[in-house]
Amino acid sequence: MTTDVPTLQEEERYRAVLGLDPAGAGTLESLISALHDESWRVRRAAAEAARRLPAPGEVALRLVSVLGERGETGARNAAAEALVGLGDVALGPLIRLLGHSDPDQRKFAADILGQLGRRGAENALIQALADPDLNVRVSAVEAVGRVGSEVGARALERLLKEEEPLLRLAVLEALTQLQWPPPLPVVVPLLAEGRLRRSAYRVLGLIPQVAATELISRGLGSELRSVREAALGALGTQASVADTPLRAEIDAQARTSLKRLPNAMEFVSQAFEAEDYYVRAGALVAAGALREPTLAVLVAEAAREDRLLREVIRTLSRLGAEAGRELLGRMAELSLPARAAAAQALLEMVDPSYVPALSALLEWAEDDLRAVAVKALGRTQSPDAVAPLVALLDEPALAGAAVRALGVLSGGCREAVIKALEAVMEQRPVPAAVAAYAHAGGTAALPTLRRLARDADPLLRAAALDAAVDVDPAVGLELARGALVDEAAPVRASGARVVGRVGDASAGSLLRRALQDEDIAVRLAAVEALGEIGAAERATDLEAMVRHPDGALAGRAVRALARMGTIRPEVLRQAARHSDAEVVKAALQAGAVSAEGVALAVEMLGHPGWDVRATAARVLGDAGGRESLEAVQAALASEQDALARRALSDAVERLSRR
Amino acid sequence: MSAEEFRLLRDHVYAHCGILIREDMKFVMERRLWPRLEALGLPNFAAYHRFLRYDTRRNAELDSAVEALTTHETYFFREPVQLKAFTEEVLPLLQQRNAGTRRLRIWSAGCSTGEEAYTIAMLLKESRLFEGWEVEIYGTDISRRVLTTARKAEYGPSSLRATPPEMLSRYFISLGASKVRVRDDIRAWVSFGHLNLLDAESCLLVPRADVVFCRNVMIYFDVPARQRVLQVFSDKLVPGGYLMLGHSENLLNLGAAFELVHLRGDLVYRKPELSWKVER
Repeated sequence: MTTDVPTLQEEERYRAVLGLDPAGAGTLESLISALHDESWRVRRAAAEAARRLPAPGEVALRLVSVLGERGETGARNAAAEALVGLGDVALGPLIRLLGHSDPDQRKFAADILGQLGRRGAENALIQALADPDLNVRVSAVEAVGRVGSEVGARALERLLKEEEPLLRLAVLEALTQLQWPPPLPVVVPLLAEGRLRRSAYRVLGLIPQVAATELISRGLGSELRSVREAALGALGTQASVADTPLRAEIDAQARTSLKRLPNAMEFVSQAFEAEDYYVRAGALVAAGALREPTLAVLVAEAAREDRLLREVIRTLSRLGAEAGRELLGRMAELSLPARAAAAQALLEMVDPSYVPALSALLEWAEDDLRAVAVKALGRTQSPDAVAPLVALLDEPALAGAAVRALGVLSGGCREAVIKALEAVMEQRPVPAAVAAYAHAGGTAALPTLRRLARDADPLLRAAALDAAVDVDPAVGLELARGALVDEAAPVRASGARVVGRVGDASAGSLLRRALQDEDIAVRLAAVEALGEIGAAERATDLEAMVRHPDGALAGRAVRALARMGTIRPEVLRQAARHSDAEVVKAALQAGAVSAEGVALAVEMLGHPGWDVRATAARVLGDAGGRESLEAVQAALASEQDALARRALSDAVERLSRR
Repeated sequence: MSAEEFRLLRDHVYAHCGILIREDMKFVMERRLWPRLEALGLPNFAAYHRFLRYDTRRNAELDSAVEALTTHETYFFREPVQLKAFTEEVLPLLQQRNAGTRRLRIWSAGCSTGEEAYTIAMLLKESRLFEGWEVEIYGTDISRRVLTTARKAEYGPSSLRATPPEMLSRYFISLGASKVRVRDDIRAWVSFGHLNLLDAESCLLVPRADVVFCRNVMIYFDVPARQRVLQVFSDKLVPGGYLMLGHSENLLNLGAAFELVHLRGDLVYRKPELSWKVER
C-alpha cells in the first residue's frame, strides 16, 4: 500500500522553492512558475516566499496578472493567498482589478479584498455592490461584511430590497458579521422565506426592541424544528446585545412562550447539543426562563464554550437552590469549565445545607474551584463551615480567601468562629489565623496581638501588627514604632504600612530610615506611606527616588509626590523619561492638573507604548485646552491601536467642545 | 475589569508566552483571574498588573495567571477517533520505521495534568508493538502547577469519564474514594518538564520525537505565535514524524512545513520525508 508521501521530484521542487534567494535575479519569475506547480505544497511554499521578496509593489502586480489565468485554478488560488500575505501593498492593484472587464476577475478581486480586511477598500467595494454581475455583487457584499464601517453597513442594508435571494442571504450574513441591525419592518418579511429564515432570525436578534422579542417568541412556538432553532438562535443573539431592562423583557417573553409548549424541555435540552453557538446561547436563555433544575448539568456543560460563560453563570443562578444541590452532587463528573461555572453560580444559591458538599469539594478540586468553595462556605452562615475554613488558614493558596470567608461567617455565628480561632492561637498560630482572629475578636483580641508582636517568628510579628491596626489604630501605631527597627524586613515593611494607614504628617520622621532600607519592600512601603500621610518635608527624598531604575519605586515616588501636591515640573519631566512605561503614565496622571503636565501629555502622544499614548489622550481630554486639539487630531490620524484610538477620539470630542 | 486593565494584562501575558486573549474574552479573563486577586488580597486588576510587573513573586504568579487563563479540558482517552487512528494506523508504521533502533519518542506538548501522556503510554502498551523497546513519552506544559499533578498521577472521576472499564482495571490502581493512580509501569515510560513553547532556548532540551501531540493548545495562540510553535515542532520531529492536533484545529494558512495525511480513520499532519517513499 502506498501513502501520499511526496515523490522525489516533488520534494526536490519543494526544496528548490524554499532555497530560492529572495534577492536573486529571476526569483520572482521562478516563484510565479512554482505557483503553477501540480503540488499544493510547492504552490503554498511559493506563495509564502513571495511575501519576502523585495519590491513588493512589483510582486503584487505580477500576482494580480496570475489571477487572470483562467483554467489555472491552483495558481490563481496560490496567487490570491500570496496577495493576502502582502498586506497593504496589494490594496491598490486589487482595487484597480475591481474595474476589470472580466467579471470573474472582479469577483476574485472582491474576495481577496475581503480577506485582506483593510478599511481602505471599503469605498471601492461599496461601488462594486452595484456591479452588473451577480457573483461579483455577492462577493462584494461578503467583503463589505468583513471590512465595512457604518457606511458599508448602510449600503448593504439597501440591498435587502433586491429580488435575488442569494444576494439577500449574503447581505443578512454580512450585516450579522458587522453586528448591524436593519430596521425591523425590513426584516419581518424575510422571516417567511425558507432559505433566508435562519439568517433573518439572526439579524432579528440584533434588534434591541421588545417587538423583535415578540417575533422571536412566536418562532419558538413553530411546528418546524428549523424555525424553532432559528428563533432560539435569535434569542441568544438578542440576550447578548440587550441592556438590563430589555433583558428582563426577553426573559419574561421567553418564559410565557415556552410555558405554552408541551415539549419545551425536550426541545431546549436538544438545543444544547446544537453546532450553532447562537442556538446554544438561546438554549441557555430558554433554560433560565423555564427555571427547571434538572437542566442544571446541561447548562453548566455549555461553559465548555468560553464565550457562553457569562450566560451560563447567569442561567445557573436563576435555576435556584435545588439546581445548586444537583450540581454539587455531580461536581466530580462535570467537565472542568462546567465545574468552574457551577462553582461560581453556587455562590448565588448557597444555604447551610451546602456545607458537607462544599467541604468535600475542598478535598479534591483544583485550587481556583476550592477558592470559590471557600467563599461559598462563608456565605452559608453555618457553624459547621467554621472547622473546614480554619483548617485552610495555613494553606498559602487559600489562606486569604479563608480569612475573608471567616469574616463573613462571623456575621452569623461569631461565637463559633472566635472559639475555633482561639484554639488555633493557643496551639499553632499562623499569619492568616491572626488576621481572622483580629477581625472576629475585635478589641478582645488585643492582648493576644500584643503578645504575638513579640513572637520569635517574624511573619507572626508582622501579621500581629497588621491586625492590631485594624482593631485599634493607636495600638497599631505604638507597635509600628518598634517594628520599624525590627531586624526582619517583613516586620519593618509592615511597620511602614501601618504608619501610612494611621499616622499624620508629623510621622514623616519615623519613616526616614525606612526610605533608605536595604530591603526594597520596606522602601516601597515607606514611599507609599509618605504619600498617604502627606509628609512634605520628605519630598526631596522622594524626588531622588523618581530617578531610581526600579520602576516600582520610581512610579510610587511619583504618585506619592502627586498626592502631597508637591510635584515639580522638572521632576515630572524626569519621570516621563523613565524607561518603565508605568512610571511615565504615573507622571502623566500626576501632572494632569498643571500646564506643564498638559504640555508633557502632548509630547507623550508620540510615545511607543499604546497605553502611554492612551493615558496622554485621557489627560488631555480631562485637562487640556482647545490649543491641544490639533495635536490630538494628528495623533488620532496615525494611531493604529484600537484602545488608544478610542481614548484619542474621546479627547478630540471633549476638546472640540471647549 | 476596565478596558485598559484588560489590555495591560492581555499584553503582559502575550509578551510572556504568545497566548492571545481575544477582545471578546474580557469576561472570561476577569472570571479566571479573579481568584488570583482573592488569593493575593489585591483590590483590583490594576493592582494585579502591578504585582505581575514588580513583585518579587511575579514569575510564579505569571505562571498561575497563564494557567488560569489556559487551563484546558483534559481527560483520559479524549478524542477517541483520533486515538483509534493513531493506534491502528500510525503505530504500526512507526514500529516498521523504527525497527532498527527499537526506540520510540513521543512528545505531548501542553500536557496539562498528564492524562494525555499517560493515555498514549497505555495505548502503546495495549498495542504490544513495542515490547522490549526504549519508549519515552515527554509531557511538557507552561504551568508548573499542573506538572505536579501530572507527576503524582492520581486522578478523580472527571479525568476518567471517557476511560473504558477494561483500561481502568488494567492500567490504574484504586486508591479508594473515587481516586485512582496510574500503574507504575505506565508511569515509567512518561516524564514531565516545564516548557514555554515560545521559548526557543528551553525547547532545545526536548529531544527529537516520532510523534508530537499538541491538542487544543494552539487555539490560545495568534497566527505569528502558531507559526513559531509549528517551527519548533518541525525542528523536533524526525522526517516523516506525525503531528496530532485537536479536532477543531488545522494548519490552514500556517505554512507548508507539514502535509495533511488521509488515514482511513482520521486526518493527521506529517513532516515531509526527506527523499524516500514509504510503503504501508
